[in-house]
Amino acid sequence: MATQNPLEMRGATKWFGNFQAVKNLDFSVPQGSIVGFLGPNGAGKSTSLRMALGVLSPDSGEALLYGAPPNLTSLRRVGFLPEERGLYKKMSPRQIITYFSRLKGMSGRDARKRADEMLEMMGLGPFAKSRVSRLSKGMSQKVQILCALAHRPDFLILDEPFSGLDPVNQMALEELIVEEHKRGATIVFSTHVMEHAERLCEKIVMMARGRKVFDGTLEDGFTALGRAVKIGVAEGFDLNVIMEPAGYTLEVEEADVWRVSLSPQQDPQNALRTAIDGGAPITSFLPQETRLRDVFVSLVSEAEAQDLTDTLNDSMAARAEQEAA
Amino acid sequence: MFSTYLVARRDYLGYVTAWGFWLGLLFTPVILGIFMFAPMLAQNSAPTRYFAVIESGDEFTKALQTELQSIQVTAARASLDLVATAQGSSSDKTDLFDAALENGASVQEALAAAGGSQIPLPLPDFVMVPAPESSLEALQPYLSGQRMVDTPKGEQPLFAVLNIPADGSAIQYWSENLQIRDLRDLARRAERQLAEERVFAEAGVSSRLLKDAQRAQRPIEELRLRADGGEGTTAVTIEDRAPFFMSIMMAFMLWFLIFSVVNYLLMGTIEERSNKIFDSLLTSVKLPNLLAGKLLAVLALALTLMAFWGVGSSILVMIGQERLPAEFASGMGAVLMAAANPALFIPAILSFVLGYLMYGSLFLALGSLCDTIQEAQTLMTPLIVMLMAPLFMLAFAINDAESALIQTMAWVPFFTPFLLILRMPTEPPLWEVLAQLGLMAFATVVILWLATRVYRAGAVHGSSVNDVGKVFKALLPGNKSARQEP
Repeated sequence: MATQNPLEMRGATKWFGNFQAVKNLDFSVPQGSIVGFLGPNGAGKSTSLRMALGVLSPDSGEALLYGAPPNLTSLRRVGFLPEERGLYKKMSPRQIITYFSRLKGMSGRDARKRADEMLEMMGLGPFAKSRVSRLSKGMSQKVQILCALAHRPDFLILDEPFSGLDPVNQMALEELIVEEHKRGATIVFSTHVMEHAERLCEKIVMMARGRKVFDGTLEDGFTALGRAVKIGVAEGFDLNVIMEPAGYTLEVEEADVWRVSLSPQQDPQNALRTAIDGGAPITSFLPQETRLRDVFVSLVSEAEAQDLTDTLNDSMAARAEQEAA
Repeated sequence: MFSTYLVARRDYLGYVTAWGFWLGLLFTPVILGIFMFAPMLAQNSAPTRYFAVIESGDEFTKALQTELQSIQVTAARASLDLVATAQGSSSDKTDLFDAALENGASVQEALAAAGGSQIPLPLPDFVMVPAPESSLEALQPYLSGQRMVDTPKGEQPLFAVLNIPADGSAIQYWSENLQIRDLRDLARRAERQLAEERVFAEAGVSSRLLKDAQRAQRPIEELRLRADGGEGTTAVTIEDRAPFFMSIMMAFMLWFLIFSVVNYLLMGTIEERSNKIFDSLLTSVKLPNLLAGKLLAVLALALTLMAFWGVGSSILVMIGQERLPAEFASGMGAVLMAAANPALFIPAILSFVLGYLMYGSLFLALGSLCDTIQEAQTLMTPLIVMLMAPLFMLAFAINDAESALIQTMAWVPFFTPFLLILRMPTEPPLWEVLAQLGLMAFATVVILWLATRVYRAGAVHGSSVNDVGKVFKALLPGNKSARQEP
C-alpha cells in the first residue's frame, strides 16, 4: 500500500475581497520529508498553511491532510506553530502545554508528564509553574514550540519558527527539528531566511505574489538557476571571442572580469581550459557558488516581474476596452 | 464533546482563579444590600430638626401636630400591613391599630394594642419646640445658628419658624435651609385641612361629624375565586401572592446574572484575540465546540455565583430565623415553595438557558471583533443599553404584567426571558407561553448562528469593530467582498 502524503494542495486558491492571496497552488509534502516553504513577506505562505490546517477554506481547489480535507482526526496528528505567537498570559507553561496536548487527545496524566519532560529538556523546568506573562519573549516562544511538539505529532507545520529567536536558540530549534525528523515526523516550515532551509530541507516550495514559483529539491533549485565562473583577464583581452564559439555565454561584470554562465552540461574546469587554450591572459578564476538566496531572489524577481507585466497588460486591456467603448 | 469540556474547564478555572471574580462574589451582595437599604439608612440617619410656630392662638399648631403624627401613623400602619399580609389577615391588625388611635392612644400604644409592640418606629424628622422669642427679629440669631433653642435633646439649632398672622394673610415660612422642604409641605397640608374645616363649619358641618363620616368607612376585603374552594371564594393570602413575589425574584435574578457574567465572555474573547491564540485553538477544536465550551464555562460561573449566594442566604436565614417573627418565616417559606410549581419553574429554566445563550453569544461575537479593552469600550454604550432595556421592561411589568405594552413586548425575543417569567403567575394561555418559548428558541438559534459567523470573521479573518458593516455583508451567502486581507 502506497504511503499517503501528509499534505497535498491541489489548485488551492484563496481570495480576500478583491485580493487573490493564493493562486492555484499545487504541491505535496511527502511522508518523512522536511519541506521548506519559502517566500517573501505577503507571498501567501501563512494563508496556504492555514488552508492546509482547515482554519481557512480554499475558494477553489482543495487542501488534503492525510488524504482528506482537514478534520479533527487528521489534525490530531499535526503539531502547528502559528506565525502569530500567542499564549494565555495568566496560565503557566505546564498548564498550557497540558491543555493543548489534551485537546490533541492525550490523557491528562500523560500530558502533564510530557509537559514536565519537555520543559526540563528545554531548560524551562524552573519556570514550569510561573505565569507566562512573567517569561521572556524567547522563553514564551519556546513554550509555544513545545505546545506544537508535546503530543508527538506525525506532521509538524511550523510557520516562521525561527522568527524572534536569537542565533543560539535558532540553532537549538534547528537541532530540535532534526530530532523530530529522526523520530519520524514529517515537517513543513515556512521562512524567509534561506540558510535554515539550506541546512534542513530536502525539498523546497517557493512562493511569490500568491503563486508557486518553484517546487523541487535544493539541487533542482541550483540547477534551475545555473552556475557561473568569474574569469579575470589582463590588458582588455576580449574573452568573448574565444569562448562564445565554444558555446559559453559571457558578460563583462567589471573591468577585465568576465562572468561566464554555465549550463547544467557545462563544467567550470572545461570553461577554464577553453580560456587557457584560447590564449587568454588569465589573472583570476573564481567559480561562483550558487546559494539558495540567489535562487530565491531570481525566482521571486521573475515572479514579481511577471506579476507586474500581467497587471500592466490587464490595465492596458481595460483602457483599450474603455477607449473602444 | 470532550474538547468542549476541556475548553469550558480551562475558561472556568481561568475565571474562578482571578481575584476579580472573588471580589465580585463577596462584595456584590454587600453592595446590593447597601443599595437596597441605603434609602432606609439615609432616612434613619437624618437628624431630627426643631422648629417653632408663632401664632396668636393654637388652631394651626394643632393642625400641624396632627400632620406630624400622621407620618408616624403611616409608617406604623405600613409595618403592620406587612406583618398582616405575611399572616394572611390583611385588615385585623390595622383595624385594631386604628381603633386604639381613635380612643386617644399614642402611636406606640396603638401598635402595642395591635400586637406590633416589637415594630420600631422611625425617629421623627421634625419636632415642634416653644418659640424662644415672640418676634421674628428676635428669632433671627436662632435661625442663623448664632443661638440655640432648648429641646428635649438639649440645646439644638432652630431649623425653621412658621409665622401665622392673625389677620389671615399669608403664612410665613422662615428657614435658612432651602433644600429640605418637607416641613413647608406639612404646613401646607395642615393649612389645607384647616381651610376645609372652616368651609365645612360655615356650611354647618362640625368637625366631629366629619370624623364620624371617616370612621364610618367600610373595610375592603381582598378575595379571589378558587376552583377547589368550598364556598367559591376566599381571602387572598401570602400563598396567593407568593408566585408573584417569586417570579419577580426570578426575573431579576436572571437579569442580574446575565448582567454579571456576560462581561466575562466579552473580556475572555478579547484576551484570546489580543493574545493571538485562535489559530492554535482552531487546529485543535471545532469552532462550534469552542463557542459551546466558552458559553458553558460562563454558565458554570453563573451557577457558581448562584450557588454561593443561595447557600450564603440560606445560612443567614437559618442564623436569623429565630430572631425573625414567625409570620415572616412562614411568608418566606411560601414564597420559596412557589418556585417548586412546574408552571413557574419550567418556563423559568427555559427562559434562563435561552436568555443566557442569546445574550452570551452576542457578547462572545462582539468580543471576537475587539483587540483591546479600549475597542470594547466603544461597544459598551449600546451593550449597556441593550442590557438595561429588559430592566426597564421589568419595572413596568411588576406594576401590571398584563398591560398591553408588556404583553406586546413579551413577544420580542430579547425581552421574552424576563417578561415571560413575570407573566406566568397571571396564568397566560398555554398556547401563548408555548409560542413565546418557541419564538425565543428560534431567535436563540438564529443569534447563535449569526454569532458563530461573526466570531469566525473576528477570530479567523481578523475582522475588527471597524469592519462591523463588512462583517454583516459577509453574512450574506456567497458574498466575498467582506473578507479581510490576511
